[in-house]
Amino acid sequence: MNGLIQLLNDVLNNFGMPKDFIIMASFYFIAALTCLFAFMVVTSRDIFHCAVFLAATLFGVACVYLFLNAEFLAVVQVLIYVGAIVTLFIFAIMLTTKIHDKAIRQVNRQVLVGGAVALAFLYSLIAIINQDPWKAGAGADKGYLGLDELGRSLMSTYALPFEVISLILLAALVGAIVIGRTYKE
Amino acid sequence: MVSVLTFIIMIVVGAVILGFIAVSAMFLIWWERKVSAHMQTRYGPMRVGWHGVFQSVADVIKLLLKEDIVPAGVDRWIWWFAPFFAVVPSVMVFVCIPFGEMFGIDLIPADLNVGILYIIAITSVCTLGIFMAGWGSNNKYSLLGAMRSAAQIISYEIPLVLSIITVVMFAGTLSMQKIVEGQKEMWFIFRPNLAIAFVIYLISAVAETNRVPFDIPEAESELVAGFHTEYSGMKFAMFFLGEYTNLFIVSAIAATLFLGGWQGPLLPPVIWFLIKTYGIITVIMWFRWTFPRIRVDQLMGFTWKVLTPISFANLAFAGWVLLK
Repeated sequence: MNGLIQLLNDVLNNFGMPKDFIIMASFYFIAALTCLFAFMVVTSRDIFHCAVFLAATLFGVACVYLFLNAEFLAVVQVLIYVGAIVTLFIFAIMLTTKIHDKAIRQVNRQVLVGGAVALAFLYSLIAIINQDPWKAGAGADKGYLGLDELGRSLMSTYALPFEVISLILLAALVGAIVIGRTYKE
Repeated sequence: MVSVLTFIIMIVVGAVILGFIAVSAMFLIWWERKVSAHMQTRYGPMRVGWHGVFQSVADVIKLLLKEDIVPAGVDRWIWWFAPFFAVVPSVMVFVCIPFGEMFGIDLIPADLNVGILYIIAITSVCTLGIFMAGWGSNNKYSLLGAMRSAAQIISYEIPLVLSIITVVMFAGTLSMQKIVEGQKEMWFIFRPNLAIAFVIYLISAVAETNRVPFDIPEAESELVAGFHTEYSGMKFAMFFLGEYTNLFIVSAIAATLFLGGWQGPLLPPVIWFLIKTYGIITVIMWFRWTFPRIRVDQLMGFTWKVLTPISFANLAFAGWVLLK
């Protein structure tokens, strides 16, 4: 039985396909799709469509994390960004009256400045990304972001920054409630 | 390294799971009708096959052949893709559901080391599908249903996740297969902390699946049918499929986390897993004919003022028990 599987495997693998062909093909497909969705986020005229495309883009980024063997990061990306933040965006859109009736203009007077800032940001991102060889798929380091290690360091070495961030979040929550509440005269 | 053979195996496993989901959903619809009928001293479906077992098959054929009505004024893309967003996450969750073991092979498509976290993350995407359906329909009842549904799912996710975290603390792992193995000596439900967690999980799970007594998102007397009011034919069937798959998933997770998963004497593991899962589903169906629907303010008050504080206290208590 095992010999048969091995034989079948050899035949299929020598079918003129390079190693890791499936990983490569799926990576380029997902990367292209993510870029397309990201482009749609900024060009779409209906704000609800923008939010849905944003969710799809963030999902694509989570898939890229999976290619780097960072499972935990990918799952947390989906949980927090797709599951929580985009949902909040959509809540805000739904509670804002008649916002979807207006077709939003994509550009304003600051288009040139904005473009320049975006290009500068892209340049620095490329510079940072090029510092790492980024072995994806089978070659990626195991335990790229070990769950145990991450938890332990958040509770010991980085305990203070972790707590400070939660304090900032709490302050933002209280601020939102203060802004949103109606005062009774 | 993904060889072509593993790729083919993946596709076969995926096809088997899709088949299982479809058959399971059809069985659950028939079962729900039978359970409700017998609780009201009726017979339920009796005509198609023995005691109406093939009634769901007939219904599916009917839904497939129905005209696909697109109402005027819908947001076409959003409206078209919403059913997929409702079904696809439910199917993706099956990656981490441990069905048992057979001939020394673990029947779990992929035992991720972030298993239970993956399930929580993927199910949170379902909210997006409900939002898209409600918004795309361009109908006030749909929109109201979607808003209620999303608010409810987000609120009840907190006690749900907290009760799951309590289990993770006792198991010391996020992998579903290892959580099952950790219950070899004693099922988790027999530990006092986790018994409380189980009750909280079950209540939150019923709310997550939008079922009675927490079914205000599709309350017929107020909202026609909630977010899927405008859907007909196959798209409606997709929402139905998603709903019953979610019911299966929450019950399967409950069986895995609290009732020892596929472990049990004499019978094969897969049978034990299915007995436990469908047992919990039957209990949830029983709830439907026992409790009246509760109001929106009661619903929100219950989760924020009762369930969430109890789950936090339970979590702290579990930490104390573990460190003692």
